[in-house]
Formats: sequence, structure tokens, C-alpha cells
Amino acid sequence: MGYGSLTKEIFEELASAVGRAAAIIDADALENYAYDQAGRVWGHMPEAVVRPRNTEQVSSVMKIASKYRIPVTPRGAGSGLNGGAVPLAGGVVLSLERMNKILEIDKINRVAVVEPGVVTNDLCRAAAAEGFLYAGYPMSTETSFIGGNFATNAGGGKVIRYGSTRRHVLGAEVVLASGEILHLGGRFRKDTWGYSLLNLLAGSEGTLAIATKLIVNLEPKPGKVVNLLACYPDVEKLVESVAKVIGSGRRIISCEFMDRNLVKYTTEYLGCALPEQERSEGYLLIQVEGDTDEQLEEGYETVGKICLEGGAFEVFVAESRTDSAAMWNVRQNGLEGMRARDPYACASGDLMVPLSAVPEMLRRIKRISGEWNVEIGIISHIGDGNLHPIPLKPEGMTPERWASYAEEFFSALINEAISLGGVGSGEHGVGHVKQKVLTENKTPAELEIMRGIKKAFDPQNILNPGKMFFKLQ
Amino acid sequence: MKIAVLVKQVPAVDTVKIDEKTGTMIRDGVDAELNPLDLHAVEAAVRIKEARQDASITAISMGPMTAQKAVRYAIAMGADDGLLLSDRKFGGADTLATARTLARAIKKAGPFDLLLAGERATDGETGQVGPACAELLGASVLSYVSAIEELSGEKVRVVRAVEGGHETVEAKLPAMVIPVKEMNVPRLCTLSGKLRAKKADVEILTADDISMAAEETGLTGSATQVVNVTYPKVTRCGRRIAAADGIDAAIGEIMKIFEDKNCLEKAEAV
Amino acid sequence: MSAEVWTLAEVRGGKIHPVSRELLAWGKELADALGAPLASVVVGSGIKEQSASLAAYGADKVYVADAPEFENFKADITSATLAEMIEKYKPSILIASATTQGRTVMPMLSSRIGCGLTADCTELAIDRESKRLIQTRPAIGGNVMADIKTKGRDPQMCTVRPKSKRPLSPDASRECETIEFAPKKELLESLVKFIKFEAEKSVGLPLQEAEIIVSGGKGMKNAKNFARLEELARLLGGSVGASRMAVDLGWAPYSAQVGLSGKSVTPRLYLAFGISGAVQHIAGMSGAETIVAVNQDPEAPIFRVADLAVQGDAMEMLGGLIEAVKKYKGLR
Repeated sequence: MGYGSLTKEIFEELASAVGRAAAIIDADALENYAYDQAGRVWGHMPEAVVRPRNTEQVSSVMKIASKYRIPVTPRGAGSGLNGGAVPLAGGVVLSLERMNKILEIDKINRVAVVEPGVVTNDLCRAAAAEGFLYAGYPMSTETSFIGGNFATNAGGGKVIRYGSTRRHVLGAEVVLASGEILHLGGRFRKDTWGYSLLNLLAGSEGTLAIATKLIVNLEPKPGKVVNLLACYPDVEKLVESVAKVIGSGRRIISCEFMDRNLVKYTTEYLGCALPEQERSEGYLLIQVEGDTDEQLEEGYETVGKICLEGGAFEVFVAESRTDSAAMWNVRQNGLEGMRARDPYACASGDLMVPLSAVPEMLRRIKRISGEWNVEIGIISHIGDGNLHPIPLKPEGMTPERWASYAEEFFSALINEAISLGGVGSGEHGVGHVKQKVLTENKTPAELEIMRGIKKAFDPQNILNPGKMFFKLQ
Repeated sequence: MKIAVLVKQVPAVDTVKIDEKTGTMIRDGVDAELNPLDLHAVEAAVRIKEARQDASITAISMGPMTAQKAVRYAIAMGADDGLLLSDRKFGGADTLATARTLARAIKKAGPFDLLLAGERATDGETGQVGPACAELLGASVLSYVSAIEELSGEKVRVVRAVEGGHETVEAKLPAMVIPVKEMNVPRLCTLSGKLRAKKADVEILTADDISMAAEETGLTGSATQVVNVTYPKVTRCGRRIAAADGIDAAIGEIMKIFEDKNCLEKAEAV
Repeated sequence: MSAEVWTLAEVRGGKIHPVSRELLAWGKELADALGAPLASVVVGSGIKEQSASLAAYGADKVYVADAPEFENFKADITSATLAEMIEKYKPSILIASATTQGRTVMPMLSSRIGCGLTADCTELAIDRESKRLIQTRPAIGGNVMADIKTKGRDPQMCTVRPKSKRPLSPDASRECETIEFAPKKELLESLVKFIKFEAEKSVGLPLQEAEIIVSGGKGMKNAKNFARLEELARLLGGSVGASRMAVDLGWAPYSAQVGLSGKSVTPRLYLAFGISGAVQHIAGMSGAETIVAVNQDPEAPIFRVADLAVQGDAMEMLGGLIEAVKKYKGLR
């Protein structure tokens, strides 16, 4: 079944649904919606962009799209790393950037009600101002939208303490492919009232429905934190410490790993330095929490000593915001740092293995990147077994060749992760970049169920076609 | 070589919030920290110590007992020991009374060859205590120092960041060196430093310990007093535009301002 | 007649610096309110003849301490000399500029003679009843304005920020009395020896004299992006400023820092790229005639003081503006 073509008349209909100024057809302006952070080589031009302001407009757009069978790709901030927001089949990009209001901080029910285009960090700030914590913390908090976090079930730096986005979303208003509006979950924390479609939608990458409103959980105000930066002469020792740190029973909010290459290129890019850079093969960045000064002190001293005993030659302590920012700055800019080194640095590596398998996985990454002759930097939410190897394009290789080469390289890594009991993506999603290896690794029975679900939600296959399990026809 | 570093505990200014209705400072949850500009003074001292075998560093502060935390932070960075002037009689001191009190304590604990202080504290923002204190001790004052070029047992040669350039001067010891930010990047504390600081001796001195009469120090000994406090509101709330609604329009708006302000006439050719 | 109001003229590189004229504008209001003469104190080498020029800006008298030892500013002997002069002539008020000179010598003088000193005043007035000086200065990151009085011995002393008042229009017909003061020989022995001075090579004028300032903060993301601010500054004939965060991150030198812990500036146009606007930054730039702020965050506090608030990406806007200005000038 082919898609309908987006005629001038259909565009006019869309434009009248969202308002003339919010409908784009000019090629220059469309360009901005053609790719995400996976990179331009993974991009594809849309035929039109609509930027609705409210649920009704989203619903109207979907009614028009389903009437004419026009593909619709929902888009948040475009900060995804696997091409999830790329309009592979052309058609319409439905950008949620103008639906960016925090509608309510509901203190009684301890939830926030937000539109999908709210920048995650703005939500964090608004929650903090009311004395709460929004616990989602993808590392791109300054750019990513809460809607995109939901669509990809984003993880980030606080997952070991608080879990992924799925755990934070209690309710949603969603628009189906048909334009129909559903309300799922609500301002409560228990729900056995039928299948949990809400949980299903978290991480469905806009292939099933478009969230237009989210009810998110707010945590009580967190305790004070201290950040530790442990420098290791070798990575194996570092990984051994991680297991002991996690197993210490102390309140660990984050446990992040940066390897030598990543730190080198990122500090060069930022024009700063981490201590002991000359002799460190890897760094652990650990955030410890405590309700009282005593608890906090006991916590970080214990964790710091574990690192020192485990082979770290130095552990630095940051209590102030300035010192903490100096440590986290490198971690948060790791991807940009690698891209400053090589604009084709590929960001889609998102391997997930059990913590116990991390040492072996790192060995295999090292071996395979050697075999493939690819220089990598590694950044990792190592505390939960989530590794992001970032390869640089080998010198002399064309960008086109690199797109497929990198995809194959990652497939090789993903196969290793799976053989160690892991999966091919922990938090970035599948998009279309990892589609092939995903379908190769799922059993026919599981694929069959997934396709059935897709058909139930979106019988015409107009929502974000070509993503996850579903090849473009 | 005996080195003294003057440090102060301040509220973490970046986290200070103002209640917009009443105009008062919200003190809840505001952390105290070692004055950020003092970190450069401590760092300078520790680097001197690392370069010479014979140096010892004493961190000196005046404040409530909780200010021990700031002194211990300096020790964690590399100071050897600490001294805290803490007494109700010191409360409410202006810069003159503070300088006088610190100078008395430094005389008692000294003599020191080199004194260091932060350019100013982020709470009081006066920058007066360092030079005022040095004058009372008869030490040379080297303010706005961006680099220490040479240090011997007798003299110190420094570069000062002044308006329009850098001045190199030399002074006899004892001298008070007051660094600016560009002198160094303060180090992060190590865990072992923290553990050492926790156990280190911080001597507490009261007014009696330094034979300071009540009329010389604290509020009574101060020559200036705050008689009134107001809460200004700085707002203009001009026009708002969003680049997302058209970046060219936004650029056009700013270009209009450039024209209005004759900014485009002066522009140099490139 | 009341005791005199004094201002401490600033001498840089053998010349009386224009900031000295601003101080006279501050002093004039106070002298008039008190019905007292206004005098400037000039400490320098070969400075006597220039000193008379201060008459045009409001000085009724100038006290000149002229000695070769004063050739390069030395805080210790200046402080000692001022102490002697104060002892002899007993002024009621002494105002200095909050420059590296004033900020160094005034606290030394304060403890030397045991008189109070108030830093960085933004307003000065005479209390009607007591005839004492009320000194207003910002506190707690500029969130609070404190009125301060000096008790005990005179003079009542303070520093004021440069560029916070315009000099009076010069009146060439005015004349003033010049009083020479010769300090005792032993007072002229400085502990500090001048070696050399190297002028700074920076883009544009020093910040405090700049009419246009292109400033950047954390939102510039990295050092390389930050460097592009210079391009726009050069095109506009302005200078580059920075927030404390940008300086802390090493993207800009401390000399570029605008704010309470940096410089207070009053340009005709202040452009803030990616600066959120912490209170301490705003305190240093809110005196600008026109403020344009570009920030991604719609809640950025800087928008509250901006005449034009642009919500958007700082780099994108900066790049666009550079292109637009080049195009305007036909330089492409």
C-alpha cells in the first residue's frame, strides 16, 4: 500500500488546522526538520511541517493525515541519536515545539502536568522551585523535551537511583493515528485497570500515538549530594570498583564512566582540564546522596575509599556547585567533544548489559574496534551497565560509506551485548539506525506480537513509518 | 617560610534567591562555602608549598563556629593547620574592625613571611580587609596579583592586573599578596585531603585570647554602621520575541537597534 | 564654613585620569549640601601643572603632593602621605574611585588613621539633620541597598564605582587655589619597587570605557564559540565582556568579567548572549542605556532587565547578526 501524496490542497487543509504561520512548506525551513542528532547522513526531507499549539490541532492534523494516508512523523527537540524523528517516508513532520507549557505543579497529588514540548530541564527547575524533584535526567536536559523522553523512554544519569522515564510518567493524553484522543493513567501511582497502554507507549518512538499531555511523578526533595571523581590507571580496575560501589549500599545517584579518549577530546573542545589527565585511563564520576551532613560524609568517604582500595590513584571531592560543575561539564559535553574532534563521530552506540558483564563487554568493544580499525571514545552510565562507545570516522572514508560502516560496526557490538545477556539499546531507542540488527535479533513470535500491536494502533501505518520493527515498504 | 591565608565563609551566592514580594533574601537551603575568590589565595599558597620544602600554611578566618568548615576546606586543599577567631564580641564588625582583629591574631600566631587573601568576599563585596589588615601589620600590599614570578626568603616579585595592562613590582617580605582569578585554577580537594582536614587542628581564638577589648572589635569597634536597608527592583521588561518564530525577524529587530545606536557607522572593515 | 569635601584624584602614567572628574561631580553635590569647599588631592610626580585643570570640573582647591617617588603609583607611600595631609587639613569627607588604585590605598589609609571606609557606593547624600554622609551601596549580590553612616573620627571615607556619574560640564573660567604639600622624606620610602608596565592588547576599549559591549555566558557552550563574540564586537567597534561563569570556564580573561565581582559597566548598548543573568551579573550591567539579551531559556532573569529579549539560540543569533552586519557594511 502506497502513501497518498501531499498535494497543495492537503497542505492548505493542514495549514487551516494549525494556522498559516504554523505550517511550513518552504524548503530552507524544512531542512531543519530533516534530521536529528544522529547526524545529517541519516536525514530525510519532509514535505511539510506543522507546529500545532494544542491537542485539538494535533487531532485535526491526524484526521487529515489518515483521511489522505499521509505519513506523519512526530518530533520533539530533535535531540535523539537514532533517527527516530527523521521523516523517512517524507510526508508531514508534526513538531511539538510550540506545546511547551508546564500546565500545573499539583502538590497534593505530587505530579506535574506538562505539554510534550517542555524542555526537561525547565520541568526540573519548576519542580525544584516548588520543593520537588523531577527525577528524569537525560544528559541533554538543556535541549531534550519531556515528550521525546517519553517517546524513547529516556534514561540518563540518575537511572540507578530513580529509573527511566517510564517510571516517571503516570498519565498521558494521546492522539491516535485516527485523530482520536485517549486518556491513559492519571494522577495516581497504581493502575490495574486493563492492559497498561501507558507503559507500552513509553519507548514506542511515536509509532503508536502522539502524547499531547503528560502527568509526571514528582519525587520529594532530594538530599544533599557530593560528587566524586576517581582516576584510574586502568579500566579493568575501574570496572571492578563499580560493582563494589553499587554493592556498598550507599545512596548512589549516578555512576558514570569516561575513558581516556573521550576526556582528551572533550577537554580539548571545552578548553579545560580534568586532574591527573596524563596518567588516567579512565574516570569514574559518582554522585552520592545523604539527608544529613553526617550521612553524606559517611557515604562519600566509604565510596571514595572503595575506589582508592580498588586501584584509583586519586579521588577528588566536589561539594560546591562550581567544583561539581567542573566535573560534570566534561561528562555532559562528551558527545559534543567527540564531534568537535570529528563531525562524523557516531552517537548511536547504546549497549546495555548486566553490570556483571560490563568488564567482558568493554574487552570486546576494545577488540572489535581494533579489528574494525575504528578509534572510539567511551562514555557510560556504567552503574547500570549502559555503554556508549562513540566511534570516529576512519580517515579517508567517505561519509556515505561511514554511515553503513558504522551501522555494521554497531551491529557487531550489539550482537556481543546480546550474547552477554544484554540488549542493543538502553535509552536512545531504535529509530531507523538500529532497525536491521533489532529485527535480526528478535524471535519471529515477538516480532509478530509487536506488529500486531502496531496494526491495532495504526492500521494504515502512517505514524512514524519505517521505525523500530517496521521497514519502510 | 610561614604563610598565612585569610579565608572567609560565605553563603553560596549563586543559590541566593530573593522573595520578589517582600524583597528579602530567602535563606532556606542556602549553603555556606569558602569564598570562591579565596580559593585562588589558598591555591597560590599550596603551590608555593609544593615548590619549596620549608613552607607551612595556616588558614585564618573570623566567623561563627560553623566557619570551621571553610578553614577545613583550605586544609583539605593543602594548608597545614587553621585558626578561627570566633567570639560574639566579634559579631557585626565592619572592615576596619575585622582587619584590626585579624591583624591582632596574625601577630600572635606569627610572624608570617607571606600573607595571602582573596580579592574580596562574595557576600560583603568590599575587598577592603586584606589591604587594611596588611597595613596594620606593616606588610607590603600587593593587590590584584595575576602571577607570582619569584619568591625568595626576602622578597617577592609579582605581576599585577591593573587598568589597561599588567604591572610588575617587587616587594620586601613580609608582604600581603591578593590574587585575582586569572592567577590560577584552584584544585579540587582530594579524598585524602578531606580526611586529613577532618582530623586537623583548628585552633579557636576568642577576644580574650588575643587581648581584644570589646570597643576595638565587633559592632562597637566598627567605624561604619548600616542605618537603613532597601530592596531595589531592577526591571525593564522590554519587548520579547522568539527566534523560533523567525530568526530573520529577530535579527532584523537587533539590526534596527544597531542603527538607532549608530553602531554600524563605527564598524571597522575586516 | 564646614570642613572641606575631598576627592582623591587618580594619576595614571603621569596624567590625571578622567575618572578624577567624575569624583568631583560626586563631591560637588555633597559640598553644596554642606556649604563646604570642594577640594581634590593629587599625589604624583610632575603633576602640579595639570592639577589646576581640575578647577574646570568643580574643584575649589587642589592639594598637590608632588615628588619623584610618586612616579609609579605606590599604595603604601600614598597612604602615608594622605594620612599626613588629613591630619593637617582635617577634611570632613574623602571620596576615591573604586579602581585598583583606590581599592588598594583607601583600605590601607582606613586602618592607618582608624577611620571607617565604605566600598563601592552607588549613591551619596548628606543627612539633613545630622549633616553626616549617607553612603548607599549594594549588598548581597545587588539585591539589597544598604545605607551606611560613618561614626567616630572624620574624614568619612568611601569609594565609588568608576563610570557611575558623569563629570560636570567643564567651565574653563573657573580657577582654584593650589596648595602644595611636601611629605616628610621618611614617608617616601616605599616597600614596593616598580619594575615595568605592559599595556594590554585587547579587542576594543577597556570595558568600563566601551560604548558597546558584546558579552557572553555559559550559553555560548565552549571557548571556540565564545571567540566569535569578538568578531561581532570588532564589527560594531565594541568590546567583549563575559559572565562570571564564562570566566570560570576559562573562555574569557578575568579582565572581561562583568558583574559585582568583576566590572561595572555603563555602555550605550549591552548585548548579552547566553547569559542567564545572575543577580551579581545584572548588578554590573543594568546601568547600560540599552540592553539586548539572547537566551534559550524564556525564564532567564536577564530578560527582566532587557529592552529587547530574544528567546533563541545564542550561537545561531550571533552568527546571523555577524552576517547581517557584514552585509550591511557591504563587506561580504
